[in-house]
Amino acid sequence: MSFLSKLLFKNKTQEITAAESGSILIKGEELKRSVNEVFGRSLFVRLVDSGSCNACENELAALSNPYYDLERFGIKFVASPKHADVLIITGCVTRNMLNPMLKTYENIPSPKFVITAGDCPESGGPFKDSYSVCGPVSKYLNVAVHISGCPPEPETIVSGFLKFMDMMKSS
Amino acid sequence: MNKIMLNKHNIESSDFINLTDNIKASGKYLLGIAAADERSLNSKYAVRYFFGGGGGNIDEYCVNADESFQSISKICPAAKMYEREIYDLFGLLPTGHPDLRPLMLYPENWDSSVHPLRKDYNNLTPEMKKYGEYKFKEILGEGIFEILVGPVHAGIIEPGHFRFSLAGEPVLQLEVRHFWKHRGIEKVCEGKDFKEGLDLVSKISGDNNVNITISYLEAVENLLNIEIPKRAEYIRVILAELERIWNYVRDIAWIFMDIGFALPAQSLFALQEELMRLNKILTGHRFLFNSLTIGGVNSDLDSAKLKTIENTVKKVENIIKDCEEFILNSSTVLDRLEFTGKINHKTAEELSLCGISARASGLSRDSRIEFPYLIYDKLNLKPVLHDGGDVFARTVLKIKEIYVSKKIIEDLLFNLPEGDIAVACGNKPEAYKYAIGNSETSRGNAFFYIMADDNGKIFRLKYIDPSFRIWPSIQYGVLGNIIADFPLINKSLNLSYSGNDM
Repeated sequence: MSFLSKLLFKNKTQEITAAESGSILIKGEELKRSVNEVFGRSLFVRLVDSGSCNACENELAALSNPYYDLERFGIKFVASPKHADVLIITGCVTRNMLNPMLKTYENIPSPKFVITAGDCPESGGPFKDSYSVCGPVSKYLNVAVHISGCPPEPETIVSGFLKFMDMMKSS
Repeated sequence: MNKIMLNKHNIESSDFINLTDNIKASGKYLLGIAAADERSLNSKYAVRYFFGGGGGNIDEYCVNADESFQSISKICPAAKMYEREIYDLFGLLPTGHPDLRPLMLYPENWDSSVHPLRKDYNNLTPEMKKYGEYKFKEILGEGIFEILVGPVHAGIIEPGHFRFSLAGEPVLQLEVRHFWKHRGIEKVCEGKDFKEGLDLVSKISGDNNVNITISYLEAVENLLNIEIPKRAEYIRVILAELERIWNYVRDIAWIFMDIGFALPAQSLFALQEELMRLNKILTGHRFLFNSLTIGGVNSDLDSAKLKTIENTVKKVENIIKDCEEFILNSSTVLDRLEFTGKINHKTAEELSLCGISARASGLSRDSRIEFPYLIYDKLNLKPVLHDGGDVFARTVLKIKEIYVSKKIIEDLLFNLPEGDIAVACGNKPEAYKYAIGNSETSRGNAFFYIMADDNGKIFRLKYIDPSFRIWPSIQYGVLGNIIADFPLINKSLNLSYSGNDM
């Protein structure tokens, strides 16, 4: 059990974040305030990968690691679209994923919003000239905020959420 | 420069099925099948079979075809998926194939007359409507029920459909339906130059882009007749091993997550974050995108960077050692990992697995050792094997591989040769010459077949991802296991959807 006790007492999450991710704390606190205000303390997010290279998913998953720990700011990735407020879409929208993507969107209760992350959903990225790609996402759904980057870094995604919250507050 | 010998054989399609038996008996295994539309050259399609093993050479058997070719799936089950793929994309019928359901061109979206990899197919926007329905395999009987999972999963992962048939908790059958993310990369690459191809290839599977790119560059630099500087070879290997380490750290973290040990899991996720930040320091990108170029590498490693790498890999080793001790001494961890998701030696052999999945089932398959590239032949690597075939074996091997990678990196850091990091490449490839490239990613063998056209552009590019070879094995690994162990088995293989779907 020495491994667990070492981790418990020597490697605190708070220590990591204060020392290495100061800017995340500032952005996160701001995010938390607006999520509290607009979404009643919880913004639930569902992800659909419509044909990415898996780098965007890695970065979205990284938001849950101790450096970022997005849940403490009130943002949670949920398993079912029925629980979600926001749909994040990554990837270039392949023909085979078009239907599942639209069905996921349909199953989110209103009001609902779409955020696209990464360069592919906006333009099709390097795959736009393919017989098998039918993006961009904006052809099918109304995109509230786009987070660019290939892939967007976790901190860029947090900034994207901030932009989205600003939009929500002003509308 | 490519060190692999390619032995080429031209044969008749009808003879090949008999020959396959002999090839298998000689200890060789299927690395992949690449078809190409070469009607503009000799009015035929070419189907090339690549076999490896039994000494560092690769055997290529080329069969010419008009409308059909002989299926070898009955003798070599590993060929099954490739033949279905060729039937979809080229419309060549593999005669005698037991299962000709469409693979990536879903009948729900695609007209069955569409064969996009034929050279005369140019329609980028075929009509989108429902043309038919895919038939899943069914098990019938009293008390048997189905669980359908995906394509959109509960977690932050890629899409894929899994259909379980169960009697109580144990799984009777699993059918995996993939290719939701089929992006048609091979067709997009055609007519592009090698530089544009590099950008596309690095986005086949983002988390393994360095190793996949190395494989691509092995083939391209062979075609262009480029010898890259020693320093560039060393840096490529260092980056490749760093990528392998961060992949395995993440994989082990997910194993802990799935068995309910959040604390070690989060500690490893934090370590993964540190490794990705190291990547950013070294090359300016967290996934090492665009760090390699034709003829060398894009960013040099100065002494400060080398020091940072050294410190980080030391830290990784210490934490992973603690993890290993914890896994080996905790009965609750062992209880979940041991005997779960067992892939037998025979199954692994018949499906021609590669990478960790093969080595965990006792097959000595590591491209760095079998078909060495860059400077791997000088590193005296020994294959790290386990004969358990279960989740435990795969997890332990990932830990051991981290130690191996750490040692490789340290050896190279202290012996980095001076000199340039890239050479200029003005050469043009010979018209209609082809080359192969291979490398070992964190999942297994990444294999490229590339043919140039008479303008120095890509005529045909075929990439075989390790995940494409390994995915079918999960359908055997889960049999008899309880459904609740499926996520764990899936994570222990941690295969790529994007690399598989292409």
